[in-house]
Amino acid sequence: MLNIFKKVAIAGAMTLAAGAALAEYPEKPIEVIVGYSAGGGTDVMARTAAPFIEKYLGEGASIVVKNMPGASGQIGVTEAANADPDGYTLGTFNLPGMMARTIDREADYDRDSFTYLANVVNDPNVIVTSKNSGLDTLDKLIAEAKENPFAVTVGMSSLGGDDHFALIKLQNATETEFTIVPFKGSAPARTALLGGHVAMGILNISEVAEFRDQLNVLGVATKERSPFAPDLPTFQEQGLDLVNGSMRGFIAPAGLPEDVQAKLLNAFSQLSSDQEFLDAMAATANPVEVVTGDDFKQLTSDLYDLAKGVWETTPWN
Amino acid sequence: MYADLLHALPDVFALTNFAAVIIGVVAGIVVGAMPGLSATMAISVLVPFTFGLEPLVALGLMAGIYNGAMYGGAIPAVLLRIPGTPAAVATTFDGYPMAQKGEGGFALQVAVVSSAFGGIASAFALMLLAPPLSRVTLLFGPSEVFWVAVFGLASIIFLLGGNPVKGLISACFGVFVSVIGSDPIYGNDRFTFGQLEMLDGINIVILLVGLYALPPVIDLLETPLKTDGINSSKLGTESIWKALPRMNYWKTWLRGSFIGIWIGILPGAGGSMAAFMSYNEARRTSKHPETWGEGEPEGVAAAEVANNADTASALIPALTLGIPGTAVAAVMLGGLLVHGLQPGPMLFRDNPDIVFGFMWQFLFGAILLVLLGGSLATNSFARLLNLPRPLLGSVIIVLMLIGVYSIHGRMFDVYLMLGFGAIGWVMDRLKFPLPPVVLGLILGGFAEENLRLALRIGRGDPMILFQNTTSLILVALTIAVIVGPTLKKRYIDSRKSA
Amino acid sequence: MPESRKSRLTRPETLTALGIIVAASGFLFPTFELRAISALLPAAMLIGLIVLSVVLLLADQRKASAGEGAAPMTKSPKRVVGAFLLIVAYALATDFIGFYVSTVVAVPLVAWLFGYRSPVGLLIATVIVVGTIWAIFDFGMNQDFPTGRFWGR
Repeated sequence: MLNIFKKVAIAGAMTLAAGAALAEYPEKPIEVIVGYSAGGGTDVMARTAAPFIEKYLGEGASIVVKNMPGASGQIGVTEAANADPDGYTLGTFNLPGMMARTIDREADYDRDSFTYLANVVNDPNVIVTSKNSGLDTLDKLIAEAKENPFAVTVGMSSLGGDDHFALIKLQNATETEFTIVPFKGSAPARTALLGGHVAMGILNISEVAEFRDQLNVLGVATKERSPFAPDLPTFQEQGLDLVNGSMRGFIAPAGLPEDVQAKLLNAFSQLSSDQEFLDAMAATANPVEVVTGDDFKQLTSDLYDLAKGVWETTPWN
Repeated sequence: MYADLLHALPDVFALTNFAAVIIGVVAGIVVGAMPGLSATMAISVLVPFTFGLEPLVALGLMAGIYNGAMYGGAIPAVLLRIPGTPAAVATTFDGYPMAQKGEGGFALQVAVVSSAFGGIASAFALMLLAPPLSRVTLLFGPSEVFWVAVFGLASIIFLLGGNPVKGLISACFGVFVSVIGSDPIYGNDRFTFGQLEMLDGINIVILLVGLYALPPVIDLLETPLKTDGINSSKLGTESIWKALPRMNYWKTWLRGSFIGIWIGILPGAGGSMAAFMSYNEARRTSKHPETWGEGEPEGVAAAEVANNADTASALIPALTLGIPGTAVAAVMLGGLLVHGLQPGPMLFRDNPDIVFGFMWQFLFGAILLVLLGGSLATNSFARLLNLPRPLLGSVIIVLMLIGVYSIHGRMFDVYLMLGFGAIGWVMDRLKFPLPPVVLGLILGGFAEENLRLALRIGRGDPMILFQNTTSLILVALTIAVIVGPTLKKRYIDSRKSA
Repeated sequence: MPESRKSRLTRPETLTALGIIVAASGFLFPTFELRAISALLPAAMLIGLIVLSVVLLLADQRKASAGEGAAPMTKSPKRVVGAFLLIVAYALATDFIGFYVSTVVAVPLVAWLFGYRSPVGLLIATVIVVGTIWAIFDFGMNQDFPTGRFWGR
């Protein structure tokens, strides 16, 4: 009896405390869980964005980045999905990887596990060829692939990532077949291209920006030209409907209190108009494209459907 | 380019930047010297912290730690037979026997001078030859890298110890552990039993701490009354300047530096392989190979020169191509990205003062090793061994736990380490050699990954493996390593009988 | 005098070889679910382990028949087992109760149990170890250690 009484009292006190917390969120440091080691692209994004989000949350908000690396970010995102939805634990989110992982392996989260805050980075795919391949235009590449199916080797990072989906879109759009060579990450794939060990590569624009003299960059998979390389034509300009990229953003666990969610969304949506923030992101080679709230959720859902469709026709493992 | 090099020099001598190198070297020696703590762990803890620092302060700290830790790892390797870092495994071969003979002080002095020599050679390679050496890296595609890995694996036959069956069991165990995690091509799980923590494979530090540090700790607790007087009180530390003339290892130093630099520019293999290969080569060419493994100072020199010679050179592919040559260089690359330094050919043009300043810091870090790592470090760490054995044991247990925990910030790794520790204790007592496990873990999965990438590029045709000169040279070298010793022995025998 | 059958089978090397054979065979099962190319290297290593362990087993049994005694793994099994259990207990305590609490208890406890009994020395050592770790990792580097799952977050 006494026990029940005690429990009720504690629960009451907690509700009160929660109510108080909501009134003046954030009243303690907010933890952002990054699923990669310090120094990775996602980590740099989180640490670069943190002071700006603090600024827009106001009231002396403080953000602490916590790295939980492992399993291509899956450990960190699982932790964030299952954290208390009180607004004090946020996480970084990568697309299409985080959705693809719910398809190609068992995951303790799905697309409904999150409150979608904002996608911040959209790093579009580019198709590159090695200098010694002789395939220096998109037309030559596609002609070669049509003539000799599987003869063109494609270096890229692992299966089930954005590079892979870009290749599948390319294959479907042009009715061609390539031989996939999945390296562990983009840098080794790029090195194999530089050395001429593979003919073609699918990378992201931030990864080739420093190497444009050493590789043929055939085009970028965006709707409009990327500010990273304004002279580089899009695929759509070249008559190929290919838009794809790697995206990084922020999520919170599902079921966030409404006012906390509103406050966070408000802070994140101000990022895109902050020139100082855009400059800081450009300095770390992160192409910014802020998509917040429901649009971000829709984006994730679309990518999930795409990945699911691909998996059902051509599972990659 | 060389003008840029000189232009970067004044900044390096700015007070805070230089102080960062000094602090880094000292911290590196300490971290390396603590069984359980490694350079990888120290730098990964440091990277987020450097976000708010000036680039050259942050990079100076990292350069110092890297250099310091590669030497620091030799201290427990010599005194306790626990390699402080993965790269110090080969240092135990002769360093520990020297300590038991009462020459521990000299062993550490050989280690520090050799480390500095290797570090200086490597820094010069980075400063003067980075662009041409990065072109060498480009020659190595998956099939060539596969042969490098096979060449490294072939050298296991020198590490098998007295009982080849046990040695091979160790090697198979190491290679098997290396395939745990996600499949390098398809990404499906292999032997992870649904544990996400195992998906990225078993980190070498976890295995090493378990196999190498836990058995000696159990020893310390098992026989608490044994005095370590032979190791510590008679460390015999004369001044390093007096000891210097006794070190006539120029050939070994030059060869070890060459091997270390070469292994460094090839992505993936790293410090321990360089040390093993340098040790094997030095022993093979020695006039008195029978003294090796019994306390031959030249063995310590060979191992230590090579594991420092790949520090700066591992950054050549990291800076120019974004592919780190060692695990530590991989973490450091993260530190560069934090400061907006994107690897690539433009890096040298866009941020010359920082990049070349960083290279100078490597050089000064290596030189500082002799001054800072000399008698001071040696004597203070030797004192630690005067601690009562049960106390020393319990302190090392704590260090092992924080060292392994801090790599990824998770307890799972600690439990994994304890599992390897139990295996390591059995192996130690039954005299299974441990070096083949380490080499197998480093090179097994690495060889497999590159073989399968090469086969994909060749669309299943194995002839891709023999298609160019680089591959064929590596195949010839591998065969020479395997059959060479037998032929030599047969030749000597036939001369004797004639 | 030849060894009894039981002691022949409990020789450390024989036991280890048997252990490796059992473990390697167990790990062989999951390889059947993999693609052939994925399974190749691990299966080769596991079969290698089994074959080599059989060789080791036979060699050891031959030594046994020749009347060669096996060296015991340890002269004080109690201490070894105790040390292992304490280390595991310390790791578990760190996980569930928290790093600093566990360390403050574990350092003096282990040293005391294994024969170092000076209270002043234990106190000084504990303070130095825990203090240095706190100063460097927690205070200097903002590195968190486990605070204990038991207490919740």
